[in-house]
Amino acid sequence: MNNNEKKLRAVALAITWLAVSPPGHAAPMGFKDSWMVMGDFDPNWRDLYANYAFTPQDAFGVDTLYMRSDDKLQTLDLVDATYTRLIHRWNLPDAQANFWFMGGLGEARRYDQRSGLSDTKWILSPGLQFDYETARVYFAAATQFYRAEQINHDMASLRTGFSFYETEFDETQPWFIIEARRMHDLSDKTEITPMLRLINKNYFIEAGVNNSRQFLFNFMYTL
Amino acid sequence: MKKIIGTVILATIVMASTAQAAVQTIKAEVNGMVCAFCAQGIDKKLRALPQIATVYVNLKHKIVTVELKDGQTLLESTVKNVVKDAGYDVVNIQTVDQTVQQIKESNGPCN
Repeated sequence: MNNNEKKLRAVALAITWLAVSPPGHAAPMGFKDSWMVMGDFDPNWRDLYANYAFTPQDAFGVDTLYMRSDDKLQTLDLVDATYTRLIHRWNLPDAQANFWFMGGLGEARRYDQRSGLSDTKWILSPGLQFDYETARVYFAAATQFYRAEQINHDMASLRTGFSFYETEFDETQPWFIIEARRMHDLSDKTEITPMLRLINKNYFIEAGVNNSRQFLFNFMYTL
Repeated sequence: MKKIIGTVILATIVMASTAQAAVQTIKAEVNGMVCAFCAQGIDKKLRALPQIATVYVNLKHKIVTVELKDGQTLLESTVKNVVKDAGYDVVNIQTVDQTVQQIKESNGPCN
């Protein structure tokens, strides 16, 4: 394969990712014609994300993400344009399951204190998520690739949990959620975080402390 | 004479069909509605319709009910489309004589 073919293949791959990409949280987009704002915050991972659903299955957005290694010596600042796609939804009588594709294309600034290296690169971040929930149980598996030249910070997570009781539409429902997450080349350990999740018709928040004793806070809000 | 009779029959048919279309409460059974945050789109979109006086979402019984303002009409298919755009599936929809308050009460104190 010559250089031109390689470039064409890379462009085709990027377009494919952008054309099919989705989200990465509980439900990474809102209903048609809505804006959704999401945030995930802990000392090593700070993500602020907003998107607009222009169909019931598609949303465009913008994401800013800061990642840091456990030893605090490596950081990555990323800003990208995102596309979220609900590939398939199963609406069942007492449950819902979703298969999402989410992705982004943007710019990443890497800094490594050990080598003093600091550079900026184009980065692609496609990912997939499957989730299943009833009024009482929740499960989600997600993976997102963060790839650029000499950068691989792929992330994978599993989440499961249960609600303490069912609530009315206008009430706030508390959940217990536990998450296991791994981030390639930034952390050698599996981050385990038990969380309290509160779901209301207007907001969605989670807070917990992980196995490194770091506080974590997530939220989603739809306009 | 024939013309008058024809006009009367036509007027009767129009009045009868108008009376049938003048629904007051539409009740939809919705699949997939398990979370208030996710189902908020149904509530917000229905409340934005000018014909609607009250919206009632019940997660336990998986129903969405809309009560219309006096003299207003709304097609069941409009409600169905709103629910679909919010990401859910309507599996049954009907026009009922009950008010939203009566439906709430029939679902019990917890829902």
